[in-house]
Order: sequence, then structure tokens, then C-alpha cells
Amino acid sequence: MQLNLPFTANPHERQLIPDGRFTGPMPWVMAIMLFLSLLAAAAALALVHAASQGSESLSRQATVQILEDDPGARLSQQQQVASRLRQQPGISDVNIVPESEARALLEPWLGDVAEDSDIPVPALIDLEFSAAPDRARLTALRQDVSRIAPSVRIDGNAQWLQPWFDLVYSMLWVALAIVLLLLFATSATVALAVRGALNTHKGTIEIMHMMGGTDLQVARLFQRRVALDALFGGALGLALAVVVILLLGERVAALEPGLLSGASVPLYGWPLLLLIPVAVTALSMAMARWTVLSTLKKML
Amino acid sequence: MQSVAEFDNVGLRYGTGAETLTDVSFKLFPGSFYFLTGASGAGKTSLLKLLYLAHRPSRGAIRMFGEDLVNMPRSRLPGFRRRIGVVFQDFRLVSHLSAFDNIALPLRIAGISERDLAGPVNEMLDWIGLTERASARPATLSGGEQQRVAIARAVIGRPEMLVADEPTGNVDPDMALRLLKLFAALNRLGTTVVVATHDIHLLQEIDGAQMMRLDKGRLSDPTGSLKHPPRPLVLRN
Repeated sequence: MQLNLPFTANPHERQLIPDGRFTGPMPWVMAIMLFLSLLAAAAALALVHAASQGSESLSRQATVQILEDDPGARLSQQQQVASRLRQQPGISDVNIVPESEARALLEPWLGDVAEDSDIPVPALIDLEFSAAPDRARLTALRQDVSRIAPSVRIDGNAQWLQPWFDLVYSMLWVALAIVLLLLFATSATVALAVRGALNTHKGTIEIMHMMGGTDLQVARLFQRRVALDALFGGALGLALAVVVILLLGERVAALEPGLLSGASVPLYGWPLLLLIPVAVTALSMAMARWTVLSTLKKML
Repeated sequence: MQSVAEFDNVGLRYGTGAETLTDVSFKLFPGSFYFLTGASGAGKTSLLKLLYLAHRPSRGAIRMFGEDLVNMPRSRLPGFRRRIGVVFQDFRLVSHLSAFDNIALPLRIAGISERDLAGPVNEMLDWIGLTERASARPATLSGGEQQRVAIARAVIGRPEMLVADEPTGNVDPDMALRLLKLFAALNRLGTTVVVATHDIHLLQEIDGAQMMRLDKGRLSDPTGSLKHPPRPLVLRN
């Protein structure tokens, strides 16, 4: 069956340059390039997804600690501070953390000793804001409630999450750079392959020229050949990448809730990933056309 | 009368070597028939390459179909090449195409539909006696058969000028005469024909044909005809 592609030669023109596809290394090289590009892009999308999920919920949260030695005063201050915070605008949820839960948080470091009531544990209150609070807002709140509990501390999650966000966005840029480098390498591969094919078919091209064939007619022959190689390589690379991404997604889903638990390719990411092989095919065809036209320009 | 091709003090050299053609000047008139003769290495093929636009001259002026070829942008050359049919000395058939597809090549390049080209190509195959071998590839054809396919390919587009480099070198005398008759028939339809040949017998076959002789890259005009419009052509016998 003949495969007709846009911007390429018709079936009879195609006879001039025998396809010979899948016999050279180009489709396989393109499959590898596409596979790596898709993995890099998928990693970037997953990290951005995880970061956006984390930033949405975690950065709106803050923790209040009351470092009072006297257990009775600590409990009383905890209740009063919570009441005071509930009256503040912009705070959507105030949740007093029971002492038993606070002690359980220490267990990984202190073991059973954490249960010992002689060891003072800060009274904790979890806060959720309707919008992520900045440092000035937290300072103002601390000053307000310090009249009730002088030893109070308020730590916003956004502050300690910032290095994580910085890392995620750095990795996003690195992933984009990797995708661009792989696209550049793919273009270079296409240019080299087309130059080799032009050399192989130099005689036929000269005859075409002598019969009045134009450079664009010659370019269309190579565009089709390259498009078929790119489509084959793209399909293979995509299939392999999808398998790997799904397998890694299962591993991520098995993680305990945390910063990486949302690190899976979001739904909107799949069409973007599918666009990469299409874009590479279009890029390869454009590169083939440019290579043919620039090479033939040197001939009469 | 406007000339089909006009050379004025044309010189051609390859790289930094000596000139292959020196001070070549002539005019080719529409509907005329020319033989180009000369010893091997005299520059016949080089002169034909200039005529079928495979090279630009190193110096001098060339006008083809009334237009300056030397300064013509490369993008306009394909349109001019489609007006010229070429029979190469080494045939230059496309090795992976059948005889049918080789002959159809100029029509396909010109964008003629498959429906419209099948008739003329089959007629041409019939004329050169290769109907039975339409699907044969050049490697399986004899030298003479390849030459006939090359000639059919050159003439199928009814070119305004036909340039043939030793077109009868590999065929028997009967076929040579038949091919010459084809050239003469095309010529009568208005095609200007230039045939480079060693075969002096061919020169006697066509009355009214003019002769250009190349000697060490310089053109002589033994019949004096290059300066004057030609006489009507008559094929002997």
C-alpha cells in the first residue's frame, strides 16, 4: 500500500529515489532520540504537576508552636491562641493538634521515650489560609498572638518549600534544554542522512535537473523518505516511552504521601507528549527540505 | 530571424586548466539541423553541455530563446531546460526505472498526468521497437536498446531544441537511419536539432543540414551556414 503524505512527492515521482527506509540507521536513531526526548518531557511535566499540587495546598499551610514549659499553661495558651486565630480574616481552618499526635511525630527520633510526659513537647496548631501567606503576614499574626503566648512561633510551609520549588523549576529548565538538544541532534542526524542520500542519488538528481526538474521536486522526494523514517522512529520511541512512563507512574503512586506523590504525568500532559513525535516529523521534513535546497543551490 | 541559441566569444575552462572551448561564436536558427563534428577531445561534448545548460561559460555571452543565459538566475533554468531535449553520450538512464518510466520522466517532471502520458510513451516505445521491453530496466537492455530509450526520452516532450551527443554510436546502420529520420521529422515540426557525431556518413544523409566543426576547442564553419539562416531540410532517399 502506498502511503501518501502531505508536502511530499506523488507515487510516480517517488520511484526516482527508492525508499530504502528502515534499512539505514536513521529510523532507529530517531526512535532513540524520541524516546529520550519524551522521557525528559514527561519528567518535566510530572515535576511541574507535583510542584503545582504541592504549592497549591502546602504553601497555604502554617504551623503554630507554643514552647511553654508548664503543661497546663501550654494547653491553655493553645486553646486561647486557636480561638484568637479563628477570628482572623484569611484563615480558613484552625486545627489544634492533640498532644498525642505531636508526641507521635517525635517517635522516629526519640522512640518510646517520646511518650514520656516529662519530656516537654510544643503545643501545635495547624493553620490553613485561603491564600499563601507571606512573611509579613505571619510576623503580624505572631505579634498578635504573642500577647497570649509569648513563646509562640509561626512557621509558614511556603518558606521551607521554596528550595523545593526552586529545584523543580531548575529541573524543568534542564529537561527543556535536554529536549531542545535532542531535537537539535535529530536535525543534525537528518541533515547528515539527507546529504549522504543526495550523494548516493547524485546521478538521478542531475538527470532530473537536465530534464527541467526543480530543486523543490527533488526536495519533495527526500521529505517523504525522511517523514516515513521520522514517523516510524517516532511511533517506536513513543511506544517505549509510554511503557516506561506508565511503569514509573505506578512506582510513584505507591509512594507515601509527600512531595513526590503527585509526580505523575497529568492528563493535559499526554497530548503534549503526543505532539513531540508530530513536531519531530515536521522538523525532520523541514530540515530535509532545507538540506536539499541548500545543497542543490551549489549545483547548476 | 531570432536565433534559438547565440554564442558570442564563448570560452569554457574546467577549474584552472586550459580552455576547452575558445572564442566560440555562432547562431542556431529555429527549425534548422546541425551536425557538430570534430576529433575526440575537440570539445564537442563541452559545447553541447553549454547548449543544454549543464554549464555556464567561463567568459563570453550566450543567449538562449532570446534571453541572456549567463546572468540568468538559477531558479529560471528548469523552465528553459524543459524546452531542450538531450541525448547523452552515456545515455544516463535512471538505472532503477523501467524503459517506460525512463521515457515518461520528462513528462512527469513537467507535471503531465499519468492518464495523459501513457499514450505518448507507449507510442514512443512502439516506434523504437521496445514495446515488449517496456518494463525492462536499463541493465537488462543492450547498448543499442538503451540508446533508443535515451533518444525516446529526449524527444517525447517535443522539445524546441534537441541536442544529441553521438546518438547513433551504439546502434546498427538501419536503426541509425531510423533515428535520424525521427530527428528529421522533429526538425520538420520546428525543432532545432544539434547532433554531435563522428559518423561522416550521417552527414550525407540529410540534405540541408549544416555542419559545425570543432578543432581544439575552436569552431570552424565549413559550410558557412552558421552566419546565415538555413535552407529547408531534405532527408535523402
